[in-house]
Amino acid sequence: MFLYLDPGSGSFLLQLLIAGLAGIGIAIGASWAKVKRLFSKKKGEPKSDEETDDDE
Amino acid sequence: MTTNSAHGASFRDPSGFLFTRDGVLYRQVNQVYAADYDRLMTSGLYAKLVEAGRLIPHEEVDLAPAAPGAYKILRPERVPFISYPYEWSFGQLRDAALATLSIQKRALKFGMSLKDASAYNIQFYKGKAALIDTLSFETYKPGEPWVAYRQFCQHFLAPLALMATRDVRLGQLLRIYIDGIPLDLVSRLLPGRTRWNLGLSAHIHLHARAQKKYAEAPLAEARRGRTMSQEALLGLVESLQSTVRKLEWNPAGTEWGEYYDHTNYTDAAFEHKKELVAEWVGRVKPRLVWDLGANTGVFARQASGPGTYAVAWDIDPAAVEQNWRRVRQEKEQNILPLVLDLTNPSPAIGWDNRERESFGQRGPADLILALALIHHLAISNNLPFERIAESLAGWGEWLVIEFVPKNDSQIQKLLRSRADIFPNYTREGFEAAFGRFFKIVESRPVRESERWLYLLQKSV
Repeated sequence: MFLYLDPGSGSFLLQLLIAGLAGIGIAIGASWAKVKRLFSKKKGEPKSDEETDDDE
Repeated sequence: MTTNSAHGASFRDPSGFLFTRDGVLYRQVNQVYAADYDRLMTSGLYAKLVEAGRLIPHEEVDLAPAAPGAYKILRPERVPFISYPYEWSFGQLRDAALATLSIQKRALKFGMSLKDASAYNIQFYKGKAALIDTLSFETYKPGEPWVAYRQFCQHFLAPLALMATRDVRLGQLLRIYIDGIPLDLVSRLLPGRTRWNLGLSAHIHLHARAQKKYAEAPLAEARRGRTMSQEALLGLVESLQSTVRKLEWNPAGTEWGEYYDHTNYTDAAFEHKKELVAEWVGRVKPRLVWDLGANTGVFARQASGPGTYAVAWDIDPAAVEQNWRRVRQEKEQNILPLVLDLTNPSPAIGWDNRERESFGQRGPADLILALALIHHLAISNNLPFERIAESLAGWGEWLVIEFVPKNDSQIQKLLRSRADIFPNYTREGFEAAFGRFFKIVESRPVRESERWLYLLQKSV
């Protein structure tokens, strides 16, 4: 990787921290979704983010 | 002999640079960037972004390089008018931020990532925020965090948060801080309640603390070998998206926001002004129009059209915001609303004052509209007519200007709180002063009013 910008040590670290927390969040979310699926018949539509451009 | 002039702002990234040769703008791609450039072009990412109107298209041309180390020379399509983030309304900056994030998401799908997220890399092109720097992409390396995260927060999230939660005028801090607003400053300026906003709390407040804590730490030491999955990186970008989307600012309560609803002249006078503008624009056939004091852009809109690009400048962020919303709603491609205090216009900034051009350097326009403006300059700002005429002659070839007589209620309102020290503020004085720099091609009284409209052409 070739860094022409200084990404900032703090900025890098924060991303790793957020990623770690989000990872835990996703894990919890995923198991929560599993629990929910047990109790609901309707399956949620998978959200396609292909066209989620900013022009809402 | 050909002369190359390298662009004053194109020096940071060794991947390549912009230069002008014989009046045409080119971009040199250097050998060091060859693999990334090829990936952008062959992966389908370039085509996808160009199709979405999010990246400026270019052609590869066979041209002698401007410096050693060249891989390719590109001729990018030109943006009709270059503007800067401190000239954008809240909505424009927000759209530019969301465009950057949407581009980053698309890039990740094609195995690439943005290596910078500078607001100056975004311009308004065909009515949409688009990336102009073709060299902003690099091959995504699994495990790596986003190199441009800090820059994105400083250039976009910081000013947007200040504008939305503190005061819209704080967007002007971008004029002082060319690499975005320092996060420690933003963290101090934001209201305390923003700490309860998860996105702002993480990306601004915590970010500022992390920067301070690790200011001296080498990158490798701060990382301690930790990596970030692509999923997590996508999650970070989506978190930024939702943080930006939640920031809102609505134009209300400023001085001019509803100006047209309480002007002192009749519908007939207003319509007559529109007719005269249309007639004279048809006669001059300008390619670039600057409407100074454009408010929500009624006359700029009247002047714009196929072949005529109108920049609608106004001091009031609310008027500019309303104008921008209209541009988006109607998908207009030939009008660009921008914020500008004409009595203290955008200066040239950056290294050697050559990175970002001043207001005047981006001219001259073919035609300037100065409607219901003269009294604000001459009376509110005490500018003598000669000084106004001289500057306008420097900014444009043709001028459509409205003379507002002193007995007009708008002027009487301005004079309510101050002494009338303007004995020369008369139509005769106006014509004499402007006559020194312009030829009076036509002048017409505006129907049902005491105002006059002039079509002037620069003499000399």
